[in-house]
This record gives sequence, structure tokens and C-alpha cells, in this order.
Amino acid sequence: MIAMTHAGYVAAGWIGTAVLFVGYALATVRRGRRLSRQVPPEDRRWS
Amino acid sequence: MTTTLPPRTTTGPADDAAPRVAAGTGSPATRVLGIGALVSSALLVLYGLVISPADAEMGDSVRLMYLHVPAATYLYVGCSITTIASGLWLWKRTPGWDALAEAGAEVALVFSVVTLGAGSLWGRPTWGTYWTWDARLTSTAVLVAMLVGYLALRRLELDPAARSTRAAVLGLLLVPNVIVVNRSVEWWRSLHQGSTLVKLHPTVEGNMLVALMVGFIAFGLIFAWMMVHRFRVAWLDQQADRLDLEAALAARRAESRTADAGTAPASTPEVTS
Repeated sequence: MIAMTHAGYVAAGWIGTAVLFVGYALATVRRGRRLSRQVPPEDRRWS
Repeated sequence: MTTTLPPRTTTGPADDAAPRVAAGTGSPATRVLGIGALVSSALLVLYGLVISPADAEMGDSVRLMYLHVPAATYLYVGCSITTIASGLWLWKRTPGWDALAEAGAEVALVFSVVTLGAGSLWGRPTWGTYWTWDARLTSTAVLVAMLVGYLALRRLELDPAARSTRAAVLGLLLVPNVIVVNRSVEWWRSLHQGSTLVKLHPTVEGNMLVALMVGFIAFGLIFAWMMVHRFRVAWLDQQADRLDLEAALAARRAESRTADAGTAPASTPEVTS
């Protein structure tokens, strides 16, 4: 284990950031999938 | 109108029968972006937590700067996108600009949470407090409040065009506030330090600078990935609302036609004397 000063603060910052990014990414993808079922493919320009 | 539009539904058997090709907001480009974001994030963890040395004064809390500084930068970028897209929406009235403005504000809010969170966690061991009403922190808090207000405004039950216009007016104010946040350390006496990267003479060097640069790249790719997906979600939301409205209008027209047929002259009873 790497000895680290202020390890609790560093861990909280990094883990919190990872959880926020992953959570937001998953929520956005899930919302997109739900909405795309309601819209015909021709209105999804990227598909 | 001759097309019959399907009613807006959530999940159900009909959804299972729908084509599964490229469902959602993903595309080959976003997959490349996503892989790039994951690889650069792994590099950021390596450089930020392992390779970068501890700072002589801050100790290991400097590792929070590899999150805080890039997050603050992309917070500014997100706000700038919202302001520019809001202006273009007010000028052109193109739905795409409105969707881009919404996406920029929401992703900026995500990065503002990282900015304030990592900054506060860094502040506790360095300044002795998580929060102080310093010029930089206070102006950032105002910026976050504006972003929350902007997104709340977008959720009001109003005519969509009126809602977008009101939100766009608030969106125009984001960049002026970003300028205040950015310049606050120079305009007022502030506990917050000045710029970490000043032109070609940065105040960090060696592996610390590399870690910070990797942070900019990783957060940039994450920001781009989130922006593309969130823009597409906003676009789909607009299309679903349009389909809802068109389906409701079609149903209303069908009702009127049925009512007209029910009151046709052939069915009117004759009056006899």
C-alpha cells in the first residue's frame, strides 16, 4: 500500500468523482434508450 | 396530414417487437470516444495516484488538483456552450441549438459538482476548512445556482417554445458569470490561488504537469462523450414531444369527424306537424 498523507480526502475525491461520472453516464444512456423506443429510427439521425 | 403517428408509450410488448438497430444514443463515434475516455481515465489514475509525487507543501492532497482543475475548465466550457447555443436559439429558433444549450448546462452541472467537491476536499487539509465565502468560491456557487435554476426552468410545464426562450435568456448570463469566476482571484482579495497554468510558464512541472495534462485529456473525452449523449437525449425528447402533440391532434381531428358524422342531416329526425 502506498503511504499517503490526507488519504481519506484523496480517496473521497477520486471515488466520488468516479461514482458521479459513471452514475450520470449510465442514467443518460438509460434515458436515451427509453426515449429512442418512442421515436422512429428516421428521427434518430445518428443511427 | 396523412401519416398516422404512434402514441408515445413506455415499455411494453410493442417495444420488444421494435427494431433493435442502434437503439439509444450510441453510435460508432461515441464508442470510440468512450474507449478513449476509459483509456485516458486509467492513465489519469496511474499518473494522478501513483506516478505523480506528493507536493512539498500540500502533500498528497495535490492529487485532488488533477480532478479539480480539469473539472473547473470543462465547467466553463459547458457554460460557454450553453450561452452560445442559447444565443443561436434566440436568433435562429432551430431546435438543435436548444437541445445543445440544455445538454451543455446539465453536463456543466456534473462538472461543477466535481469542481466544488474536489476543491472542498482539498481545502480541508490545506486551508483548514471545506468552505469559505471567498470571492472565487462564492462566484462559483452563484454559477452552480444559475445552472440549477436554468435546468429547473427547463422542467416547467410551459409551452415548449416559451420555456426554451426563458431558459435561453438565463443561459446568456452564464458566460458573464464564468468571466467573474475566472477573474475573481485578480479582482478581489482571495484565499484561492491564481492560475495553475499561466501561458507557457506553469507553476507545476515534471510528472505533476503530466498528470494534470492527462487529467485535461481524460476529462475532455468524458465531457465530449457526455455532451454527445446528452444532446441526443434532448433531441429525442423534443421528437417524442412533437410526436405526442401530433398524435393528440390526430386523435382530436378523428373525434371531430366522428361527432360531425353523428350530427349529419340524414340522421336528423323530421319535424311533423
